[in-house]
Amino acid sequence: MNCSDCLEKLGPFLDSELSAGEAALVEEHLKTCADCAAAHRRIVGTSSQLKAGLMRYQAPDVLKARIRASLVDAPRDVPVRASRSLIWSGWPRTIAAAAVVAVVSSALTLVATRQRPAENRIEAEVLASHIRSLMPGHLTDVASNDQHNVKPWFNGRVNMSPNVPRVDSLGFPLVGGRVDYIDGRNVAAVVYTRRQHVINVFSWPVPTNGDLAPATYSSHGYNLIRANHDGEEVWVVSDLNLSELRDFVRLVVPSP
Amino acid sequence: MAQQQQVERFEQLVLPHLDDAYTLACYLLRDEHDAQDAVQDAVLKALRHFAGFRDGDARAWLLTIVRNSCYSWHKSHRMDRSTVPFSDSAAQGIVDPKAADDLTLESSERERIQSAVDALPPELREVIVLRELNELSYREISEVVGVPMGTVMSRLSRARERLANALDAGSRKAS
Repeated sequence: MNCSDCLEKLGPFLDSELSAGEAALVEEHLKTCADCAAAHRRIVGTSSQLKAGLMRYQAPDVLKARIRASLVDAPRDVPVRASRSLIWSGWPRTIAAAAVVAVVSSALTLVATRQRPAENRIEAEVLASHIRSLMPGHLTDVASNDQHNVKPWFNGRVNMSPNVPRVDSLGFPLVGGRVDYIDGRNVAAVVYTRRQHVINVFSWPVPTNGDLAPATYSSHGYNLIRANHDGEEVWVVSDLNLSELRDFVRLVVPSP
Repeated sequence: MAQQQQVERFEQLVLPHLDDAYTLACYLLRDEHDAQDAVQDAVLKALRHFAGFRDGDARAWLLTIVRNSCYSWHKSHRMDRSTVPFSDSAAQGIVDPKAADDLTLESSERERIQSAVDALPPELREVIVLRELNELSYREISEVVGVPMGTVMSRLSRARERLANALDAGSRKAS
C-alpha cells in the first residue's frame, strides 16, 4: 500500500468501514510510515475531540409532551372505513380546547366580577397566568435549561432577581423564564417541567420579611402552593400531583 | 384495533430516537426553538407515512425525515420568531461570579469545538454530526443525506480536515 492510498483510507479505517483485509493493510503501512502515522494520529485526535466536546442535545420534555399529545389525534393515511373512528378521535382535542377556554374565562370572570379577598384574587390571577402560559407560544420569553442564562435575563424586567435553582438532576428540568403581570405588577415566572407536566414558579417581593409555611390550593384540576420566604411571595402552579409538587417546592423554596 | 397497534409500534420504534433527531435539528438549524418545531413536524410526517415503513433502521429513517424537515423549515420560517433567541455569546459577557466560575477551561474548549462545527457549510456539518454524534454508518449516512457512499467518505474527510485546521489554529492562539 502506498501513502496516498493509505491517507485516503484513514477516515474509513477510523470509522471501522474497511474490510478486515484492507484494515490489516492500513495497519501494516502505519507501522512503517511515520508521515501516515502522524496523519492518523491527527484524524483520531480530531474525531475524539469532536465526540467529547460536541453537545448532544436532549429532546426537552415539553417537546416530548407536544409530540405525544399530537400522536393521539394526528391524521394518518388509514383506510376510508376507519373514518368513523377518526371523527371520534378528533373529539378529545376539541373538548380539551373548550375546557381550556372555559377555565380561563371563568378564572378571569372570577377576577373581574367578584369582590373577593386579595388572597383569592391573586390565586385566580396566578392560575389564569399559568393556563395562559400553556397555550402555544406563551410558555417562555427566554428558553434555556441553564440557570445562568435564565436568572440574569430577568435583570431590568422585574424588580428582583428570582431564585432559579438547578434541579434537573432531581427530575425537574428548567425550561426557561417569562415575565407576567399579576396583582398590578411585573412578576417573574420561572418554568420547569416534570415528565409532561409544566410547572410555573411565580415570585415577587413583598414588604413583610416573615416566612409563612406553604399553603396549598387546588382549583380546576391544578394545584397551587403559596410560600413566603425571605421577603418574597412565591406561587408554584402545575397539574402535577400534589405530593410531587410539594417535593418540588421543598427543593426550590428553602423551608423557613 | 389495527390503528392503535400502528401507533404503539410507532412509539416503540421511532420515539426512542427523539434525542438523536433533536441533536441533528439543533445543529442544522442552530436554534433550539426552530429545532423543536422541525422535529415535531418531522415526527408527524413520519407517523403519516409510517404505513410505508416496513423494516429496516427506524433511526436512519426518522433522521432522513428530520433532515428534510429542517431544510424546508430553514426556507420558510426564518422571520417569524417572537421569543429572544438564546445566544451563548451574549450570556458570556455577563459579570456574575457564579457564571464566571462555570466558565472553566473545559467549557471554553467546548465552545471552540462547537463554533468550528457551526462554521462548516451545511453539507459538511451534517455528515460530521451524523457520524460523530449520531454514530451512523456510511451506508446509513448515504441514505439520510441521499448521496453515494463515496461522496459521504469524501465529505467526511474534508470536514475533518477543516476542523483539524480550525482547532489547531485555535489552540495556537490560546497558548
